[in-house]
Amino acid sequence: MSHATALQLILLLPLSGAVVNGILPLFVPALRRQERLVGIVGTGVVAAAFAVALSLFLGYHGEPITHSFYRWMTAGDFAVDFAYRADQLSLLMTLIITGVGTLIHLYSTAYMHGDEGFWRFFAYLNLFIFAMLNLVLGNNLLVLFLGWEGVGLASYLLIGFWYAERKNSAAATKAFVVNRVGDFAFLVAMFLTFKYVGSLDFDAILGFARSATEVPAWVPWAVLLMFIGATGKSAQIPLFVWLPDAMAGPTPVSALIHAATMVTSGLYLLARMSPLVLMSPNVMLVIGVIGALTALMAATIALTQYDIKKVLAYSTVSQLGFMFMAAGSGAFYVAIFHVMTHAFFKACLFLGSGSVIHAMHGVEHDLYPHHDHDDAHGHDAHDDHSHAEPLYPLPYAGVFDAQDMRTMGGLGKYMPQTNLTFLLATAAIAGIPLFSGFFSKDEILFRAFEHGFNGHAYGYFVWIIGIVTALLTAFYMTRAYVLTFRGTERWPKPTEVKPHESPWQMTLPLWVLAVLSVVGGFIGLPHILIHKDSWLMRWLVGEHGVPVADSITNGVGVQAAAHGAEHGAAHAAHVPDAITWGLLLLGAAIAIGGVLWAWRVYSTHGLAFDVRLRDRWGAIYRRASEKWNWDEFYERTVHQPLLWFAEQLAIFDREVIDGAGVNGVAAGAGWWASFFRRLQTGYVQTYALAIVLGVVLVIALMLLV
Amino acid sequence: MDITFYFPPLADYVATFPMLVLAVAALLCVVVDIFYNDAKGVAILAGASLLVTLLFEAARLSLPPAKALYGMVYVGGTASLVNMTILFSGFLTVLIAQPYLKRLGRNYGEVYALLLVAVVGMMALGSAANLLTLFAGLETMSVCLYILTALVREKDGAIESALKYFLLGAFSTGFLLYGIALIYGATGTMDLSDFADRLASTNAGVMFWGGTALLLVGFFFKVSAVPFHMWTPDVYQGAPTPISGFMATASKTSAFAAMVLVLGRALPSAQWQTTVAIVALLSMVIGNFVALAQSNVKRMLAYSSIAHAGYVLTGIASATPEGYAGALYYLLVYTVMNVGAFGVLAYLEHDNRQGDTQTVDSLAGTGQRYPLLGVVMAVCLFSLLGFPPLAGFFGKVYVFGPAVKSGLAWLAVAGVLTSAVSAAYYLRVLYVMWMKPSPDDAVAPQFEGVPPLAAVALAGCAAFLLLLTFTPWVMDAAVAFFRDVPAAIVSLP
Amino acid sequence: MLAPVLFFLFAAVAIAASIGTLLARNPVNSALSLIVNLLAVASLYLTLNAAFIGIVQVLVYAGAIMVLFLFVIMLLNLEATPVLEAIDKRILAGYAGGTLLLGAITYLLARGLGALPTFEIAESAAATGTPRALALNLFTTYALPFELIGLLLLVATIGAVMIAKKRFV
Repeated sequence: MSHATALQLILLLPLSGAVVNGILPLFVPALRRQERLVGIVGTGVVAAAFAVALSLFLGYHGEPITHSFYRWMTAGDFAVDFAYRADQLSLLMTLIITGVGTLIHLYSTAYMHGDEGFWRFFAYLNLFIFAMLNLVLGNNLLVLFLGWEGVGLASYLLIGFWYAERKNSAAATKAFVVNRVGDFAFLVAMFLTFKYVGSLDFDAILGFARSATEVPAWVPWAVLLMFIGATGKSAQIPLFVWLPDAMAGPTPVSALIHAATMVTSGLYLLARMSPLVLMSPNVMLVIGVIGALTALMAATIALTQYDIKKVLAYSTVSQLGFMFMAAGSGAFYVAIFHVMTHAFFKACLFLGSGSVIHAMHGVEHDLYPHHDHDDAHGHDAHDDHSHAEPLYPLPYAGVFDAQDMRTMGGLGKYMPQTNLTFLLATAAIAGIPLFSGFFSKDEILFRAFEHGFNGHAYGYFVWIIGIVTALLTAFYMTRAYVLTFRGTERWPKPTEVKPHESPWQMTLPLWVLAVLSVVGGFIGLPHILIHKDSWLMRWLVGEHGVPVADSITNGVGVQAAAHGAEHGAAHAAHVPDAITWGLLLLGAAIAIGGVLWAWRVYSTHGLAFDVRLRDRWGAIYRRASEKWNWDEFYERTVHQPLLWFAEQLAIFDREVIDGAGVNGVAAGAGWWASFFRRLQTGYVQTYALAIVLGVVLVIALMLLV
Repeated sequence: MDITFYFPPLADYVATFPMLVLAVAALLCVVVDIFYNDAKGVAILAGASLLVTLLFEAARLSLPPAKALYGMVYVGGTASLVNMTILFSGFLTVLIAQPYLKRLGRNYGEVYALLLVAVVGMMALGSAANLLTLFAGLETMSVCLYILTALVREKDGAIESALKYFLLGAFSTGFLLYGIALIYGATGTMDLSDFADRLASTNAGVMFWGGTALLLVGFFFKVSAVPFHMWTPDVYQGAPTPISGFMATASKTSAFAAMVLVLGRALPSAQWQTTVAIVALLSMVIGNFVALAQSNVKRMLAYSSIAHAGYVLTGIASATPEGYAGALYYLLVYTVMNVGAFGVLAYLEHDNRQGDTQTVDSLAGTGQRYPLLGVVMAVCLFSLLGFPPLAGFFGKVYVFGPAVKSGLAWLAVAGVLTSAVSAAYYLRVLYVMWMKPSPDDAVAPQFEGVPPLAAVALAGCAAFLLLLTFTPWVMDAAVAFFRDVPAAIVSLP
Repeated sequence: MLAPVLFFLFAAVAIAASIGTLLARNPVNSALSLIVNLLAVASLYLTLNAAFIGIVQVLVYAGAIMVLFLFVIMLLNLEATPVLEAIDKRILAGYAGGTLLLGAITYLLARGLGALPTFEIAESAAATGTPRALALNLFTTYALPFELIGLLLLVATIGAVMIAKKRFV
């Protein structure tokens, strides 16, 4: 199999799955009920793509495999090919996407079982994989942008998958609109790049960065705009507001798109453009600080949430903030490292929460048997219990909610496998030593510190925030685990109604992901432990600094531009080993401390400890539980002014346009319309007259003009 | 004098092979129909003859353009492309029209004969190298179309619209003939390739340009450019729907091709550029805006075809080989998307209400009920709208781009803005087809489904519009060909 | 020298007759004016040395077509159109449009005729006017348009029959 064929297969397999699953059942309604067939096709194509990607990865010899399938469009000097590129970075991303994707497809065959839109779901999911592969495999910015928009579309379709409920459609629309803001910035960045580089090919752009001797004025602007684009896709301040709402989609979607893959595309973009980013130290400062603030803010919100998926959603925002901290310190390969470990443990956590929700829906079904559950399985939506149902006391005001941790507790007894995998993933995200999250998070913190040590003072700021956030992370994740799986059962009638473990299609992916979250960190062991560069660093940064540049090997700012071609130059001061060891131990201590503390307080006090927290931290806790009022902020600064403006326009429309009668534009248009309608009499004489006048017009134009 | 002198050389028979095949097939259609009523063989004969000639023209596509039959027609290269577009339209129309005509009880052999002869006329018009061929082709085409319009004569408006078409067509042909006379008077020749020399050696400019103006009037009428467009909505509405699709595409393609042949040699082009540009502007603006106000789908498509004539004229107005090539490319794409759209409408008439009462609202829910028709319609309308990355988008790029280069940026801007307006009426149709529930499924008439061959033709239209963009070899070939077409147009003998 | 004089004489007759065709209220008078017009045009051909075309013009138009016209008029028993009481807006617009068109074409001819080049058409007209010369041209150089016109006439007949009569039996 040639490389070109392999690339084609990787891309076309998911596309064919989307086409087969999307189009055939559309025309042949009988196929819509063939869940087994749809599931096999949907999962099979992604698994096959993974296998092909794996063979490419194993046979990779260090030279980027590029292949241009055909010229997409030309306009003057502007030519864009459907060109794809498999190098160290994109192969790694492809493996994550197709690997985690396969597991989540398998999981979905059980989770979505019985849903009316089963076929539609798999078609969308395959479409998403295809778009995401376009994003990471494209060899120019336009193909990347095609994928970028494609994943946006797939995300929109999947968030609003249960579109019959208004809330879900609203969440989908919100995600779409907020992402448009970022996309616009990205587009402008592309225009800038094309204007000054003259091409959108990665080779040309990176070649330009490599041959530059000073930093052109446009580069920081382009990088800043790309970063704004990334804040949209990767849910950073100020454009993160869509991600928590996006949890309205089915849980596998949250796991695949809104945790493991799509939201990391902003990081991929920055890593791909890393030589340009390194030339713009001011923008790196913005990236690092925004990442740190996002991480801290989201962690505080996660601490106050009761909806298990909301906790995970804010945790995702927070972890993405960590990745941007790495990018802001010029450690792009570390960001990708965290992308990978995060994909494992966060997908595991989301799927585990899906398993829990699945079980709690069973509980709900047993409690409220008369409620019309045509698709009890996999329906995350809050159900409406307005009609006569037995009333049970709940730990909070309102109706029974299968996603609310206050109705859970003690689930570990009933769901041993979900329990154990969730625990392993929690340990990984909390950063317990030797788990994958420990290595990636510690490397991020170390690199932030090192960046500060090298004279970029904001590195210290980022590092301090990072340490605080790491503590919070250990704390709120342990809280979520304990509230869900430990303690006493809090749903009504726990002695009679018992939840059940999920089928193997759901637990198998959980186990695979849990094992990966445990061992995934070993590809990126820190230098201090093994006395050489880690495998991941050698793979991504390598001897020659391809494909990902790094602030240590390439330098920053003018340095990066001037010494772009000579790598390995020791621009950076070396952090003394003693300090490095200290940082490593501090990271470990914080994680273990946070976990132990949360375990103790939530095991003994349960939900009551939240009340205590609220009393102790009053104003801050309330702010955090209100999500720092970002939605209200947008409501007041964007939404309401727009509405006001629209109302003014409406008044203008009413008073001036409609009101001004024959002089108004509307009336003018009406006059024209009626004029043409009157001309179109149907009488052949009128038509002939028009022709005569036309002849006079043509002769006059021809001879006189 | 030796009588063998009067036989044209063999090469001329080869050159006119497509016309000969189609003319013979047309006669056979009539003859077969005498013996067998409603014979399926007639449609097969017509379709096969079109397919054979289509393949024959495809084989000639790469040949350098040459003249044949005493310099009366061009063959090969650009002429083959034009002929292929026409033949493709005819072929798709036969596939789509056969079941339609059968349902109406009009599956006459004569219909196919008229269609084939119309194609012969169009090919003569679109590859004419002499004004006489041009005129004879134009008239042959027109007479066939007049008759086809009146096919379902019991229907309200069929005879009326045919008569209108005939009267106005004759009227405009009068101008065209007068234009030919003036040009002949000014240059003493009807051979297109002699114009430039004769113009340079005499000072008969005014007469020549006056003649060209009147010739243009004839073309403007055939391509339904404003203000010569008024017959279009009435005729498209009155004619049988697949025939409307045929008229809207093939006849326009041939008339535009003839226009390129004539104007390409009427130098300096600055003399006619403004005229064509202003007519293009009027067509785009009036076509698109009036289409907004239509409730009948066929009338809406008629106005949209007026607007599309404006887009093609924009390409021609650039007066560069690239602009002409862009116009030809646009016509190819336009042909496919319009045949598809009219074909879909033809099959949505299964309630026997016919196109003249087919309002936008009557399509409610049809996309859901007949996904094939819904999807084909969606692809065709999105392409008509010029939505990237469908073929219609590239068509617009290829006509507006050269116009900008020739200093007609204002025209291209107007084109882009009016295409934005067109989104409103195209998307309204799709909205109604897919999003609106059908009023009452219980009383919806039984629909036996689209017959296989017609379904293939319709799906083929949609696939073609997608293929042109998404398959490397087709797009490469298209781009490569159109990169060569400018050269071919310049170097026409 | 006689030919130019005759040409303009017949041209004037042709114009007068066509105006008569338009203005006559009685259809029979209108048709008769048309005959005069057609004969005058046939004479114009003769003055231009195109004897064969002149004769064909008389045979086909004045002979066959006009007889058909008169038959139809007689059979349908058409009445004279009434004199219009008031001038309707549409007719007024028609007159205005017609006047504009006349102005445009007059302008065109006035500017163009003076500058018209002289070709060697008049001399060769003597040769092309004969049936033999015409036939040689029609069957060789102009074979394609000729055949196309043949096809055109055939489908016109077929189409007329189809629309008027066709039924499956």
